[in-house]
Amino acid sequence: MELLAGLANGFMELFKAGAETFAGWVAGIIPLIVVLMTAVSAVIKLIGEERVQSLAQKATKNIITRYTILPILSVLFLGNPMCYSFGRFVEEKHKPAFYDATVSFLHPVTGLFPHANGGELFVYMGIAAGITKLGLPLGDLAVRYFLVGIIIIFIRGIVTEKIYTSMKAKAK
Amino acid sequence: MYKAITISQGSGGWGGPLTIMPTDICNKIVSVTGGGIHPVAAKIAEMTGCEAIDGFTKSVPDDQILVAVVDCGGTARCGVYPKKKIFTVNLTPVGKVGPLAQYITENLYVSAVTESCLRYAGEGAILTSKEGLVAAGTGPRTAHSEPKTKAQARAEIAAMNVNKKRNIITRLGIGVGGVVNKFYQAGRETIDMVVKTILPFMAFVSMIIGIIKVSGIGNLIANTISPLASTLPGMLVISVVCSLPFISPVLGPGAVIAQVVGTLLGVEFGLGHIPAQYALPALFAINGQVGCDFVPVGLSLGEADPETIEMGVPAVLYSRLITGPLAVIIAYFFSFGMY
Repeated sequence: MELLAGLANGFMELFKAGAETFAGWVAGIIPLIVVLMTAVSAVIKLIGEERVQSLAQKATKNIITRYTILPILSVLFLGNPMCYSFGRFVEEKHKPAFYDATVSFLHPVTGLFPHANGGELFVYMGIAAGITKLGLPLGDLAVRYFLVGIIIIFIRGIVTEKIYTSMKAKAK
Repeated sequence: MYKAITISQGSGGWGGPLTIMPTDICNKIVSVTGGGIHPVAAKIAEMTGCEAIDGFTKSVPDDQILVAVVDCGGTARCGVYPKKKIFTVNLTPVGKVGPLAQYITENLYVSAVTESCLRYAGEGAILTSKEGLVAAGTGPRTAHSEPKTKAQARAEIAAMNVNKKRNIITRLGIGVGGVVNKFYQAGRETIDMVVKTILPFMAFVSMIIGIIKVSGIGNLIANTISPLASTLPGMLVISVVCSLPFISPVLGPGAVIAQVVGTLLGVEFGLGHIPAQYALPALFAINGQVGCDFVPVGLSLGEADPETIEMGVPAVLYSRLITGPLAVIIAYFFSFGMY
């Protein structure tokens, strides 16, 4: 009997640590996320997708804005997964590169604007939770993640565009 | 000779059953599962007399796709095809979830499908209509249509009032009403997201973390992954592995693996096993595979031609071999002075 009770206790112990983690997340992460996501997506709705489209169209012409401004606009205003639909604005030969840039921005954006990819928050949030536990502020990490994200999507856009162009030339 | 078949849901599945019949134009079964044509897709093709196609290597115009076979964990792919009104067979037991949940309906989508869920439709069986049941509507759909009818009513009133000059108070009232409505809608979408995706993910990962902590696997991770993630070369190794073209599409779906690894690393950061400034490069190291599972679908959402998709998939995958580790290096230099 005592053995059984001991086993039961051990079994429950296994999940108590998980329960604590869960309670910590729900109390510590969800309230802020809810308010932040509501506020940002309301602002985005007020601006409206239509108003961004002409700006998006202009951004396709230039190689720098094509892989920075355009992916940022599409991720902020349409979110995952509809952001790829802005690919219709770019020329056919630039579409794979635009995709690469856009998809690579889906996680750097979540530090500051979680609404854009609410279903995949924990790439950032998981690591951020550890930083919070050390008692360090998150602002610096979120801003740097966002900025480095922009640099990297720009590089990805260019590299993928080059690879795609050379593959296409070889195929012909 | 084409044959009609019925696809019903497997155990734990949702949606369906779909009774489908190919036509001369619409006769391709696209397997968007990675790693070649999935046996379920092959079986559907064999039974119906259609052609099975690997969506990762070859692309098919939407109007030729009879069925899209996906293995989506509930983020994006499961909703993309129903949104385009293409019959969707999901191999994983996922219901009406994700950002495109409103498009996932029982007459377009069936999940947890295995080969045993397929059978020939009997004589005179009624084919599933893509439109019919949509009109009948399910819960969320009616909720969505309500504001629309209100908007329509408002438009009608506006049309009637077109000749009358509105006074400033009326205009102000309408403006405020519109703004409040948008805020309310934003709140509703946010709560939906929290309940349908964020909370389930928290439940699943906190359970894993709990078990890892108590069972002592935690120490194993602390001794193996932590040292790897606390040096630049170690992180480069992680990012190269994640970016390998034959691994990256498998690691991608729903960013589940990146999220779990991120959370586990977060625990190690919290315990001080990895220096805090490594958080920035680590974010890029564990995520070199981002979106590699989704290239064909993402490109088709951007209205790319089938040839572009065929060559675009390997272009993105190869590009990651360069840009994956490069991202870690850039992030490493940008982490100086942080914390």
